[in-house]
Amino acid sequence: MDDDSRLTTEHEAPEVIEADAVEVADVEQPRLDDEAATPERVRAGVEALLFVSKHPLTLGAVRRALADDVKMTETEAATVMEELRIGYLRDGRGFRLVEIAGGYQLRTASEFAPYILKLLKEPREERLTQATLETLAIIAYRQPIVKAEIEAIRGVDVSAILQKLLDRGLVRVAGRKEVPGRPFLYETTRVFLEHFGLKRVEDLPHLSELRAADPLQGKLDLK
Amino acid sequence: MGNFLTRENYKVELEIFEGPLDLLLYLIRKDELNIHDIPISRIAEQYLEYLELMKMLDLNIAGEFVLMAATLMHIKSRMLLPPSERPESDDEEPEQDPRLDLIRQLLEYRQFKEVAQDLHTLELEQAATFARNEEDRSLVAAAERPLAEVSIFDLLDAFSEVFRRTAEAPAEEILGDEVKVADKMREIRELLQHSEVVGFLDLFRPGSTRMEVVATFLAMLELIRLKAILAFQRRLFAPIELALIP
Repeated sequence: MDDDSRLTTEHEAPEVIEADAVEVADVEQPRLDDEAATPERVRAGVEALLFVSKHPLTLGAVRRALADDVKMTETEAATVMEELRIGYLRDGRGFRLVEIAGGYQLRTASEFAPYILKLLKEPREERLTQATLETLAIIAYRQPIVKAEIEAIRGVDVSAILQKLLDRGLVRVAGRKEVPGRPFLYETTRVFLEHFGLKRVEDLPHLSELRAADPLQGKLDLK
Repeated sequence: MGNFLTRENYKVELEIFEGPLDLLLYLIRKDELNIHDIPISRIAEQYLEYLELMKMLDLNIAGEFVLMAATLMHIKSRMLLPPSERPESDDEEPEQDPRLDLIRQLLEYRQFKEVAQDLHTLELEQAATFARNEEDRSLVAAAERPLAEVSIFDLLDAFSEVFRRTAEAPAEEILGDEVKVADKMREIRELLQHSEVVGFLDLFRPGSTRMEVVATFLAMLELIRLKAILAFQRRLFAPIELALIP
């Protein structure tokens, strides 16, 4: 089957080069110069960057990578991303372009998760338990926060859970609080945003109610 | 009561991540009580019952559980006094309901429990999509996720039912062979290998002694801790079921 696909590629490849050669005959390698920097080619270039990026690709990184050939603002880069995103959706591709952790990433469509899980036979990672999720939620909504403040809300020691969150890179030390004992302050990381598919911390659900709210909100039924 | 399963015999080192606030919220939710107007005597009484149960099973109880018991008793005693006779607070605030601080704490914590559920949903959605060459990520797809897992309080609740209905063993039986938790662990595994899902109550053979019931329960907790089995409910307060983790 591998052989078949290689044959097909080899067969089709010359045609593509020929088509390009018409416009850029004098250039050895196709470049994104003024002539060739059509919207299609810029889009393809950005797609190539997305393909190789290990982490979510930022608009700044796109702008810098293309800078030699195309002067592009981040707003323009965002427009290219939007075109790609819509294109993948329209063409019914197996992956989607999603905005996550301050950048853009190609991710498989969720409907194909069963296929992928069959393909990747890696050991499954332990999922986050209720107690871990609660601790993480407190850190996410109240960051930066010290351990004692987390424990005041959960009403129980969180040392073990906090260590687990640090080990998994979901949380990191953000500095020290300038109070007696100078305890560590904790905050969430990019890994946290990626784990939950969030663009930024501000996109957490119910953020405004939880940031520093008085939960009573004046509706106590006191007798 | 806890003396028939000595430390030498067996000690379940189950890490209990739930704290006293979890237990209080559990009790409130279970009886559909109004969190803004907690019947403090009733809650305190139930709270102490759970605490006793955990002590009897020799579980690792966090000191916070004992502290909360004292807090509840204190609030209860203050509630008995008419407002005018309650001790004056230092600042000149108007008369305050003795439950106020606790209620505030419970409400705040409950909000975080709720958003933890939202995060869980986001986590599930995200776990179903993959990026290229992704390292260190959850490969557990939504479909593979267990149904709602149970808290230690659900388990204790179910256990106390069984325990209550189990007759005290005649004296000669206590003198007989001791029940080993390790044997019960093997039994539970075998049971689950036969039938994939087993109800919590099915773990306990009719006519079991209290010693056996306790040993079985501890064996189940230990298997949960070892991540050999999973306890789950199909919906809130539905019967607890158990399955082997492959």
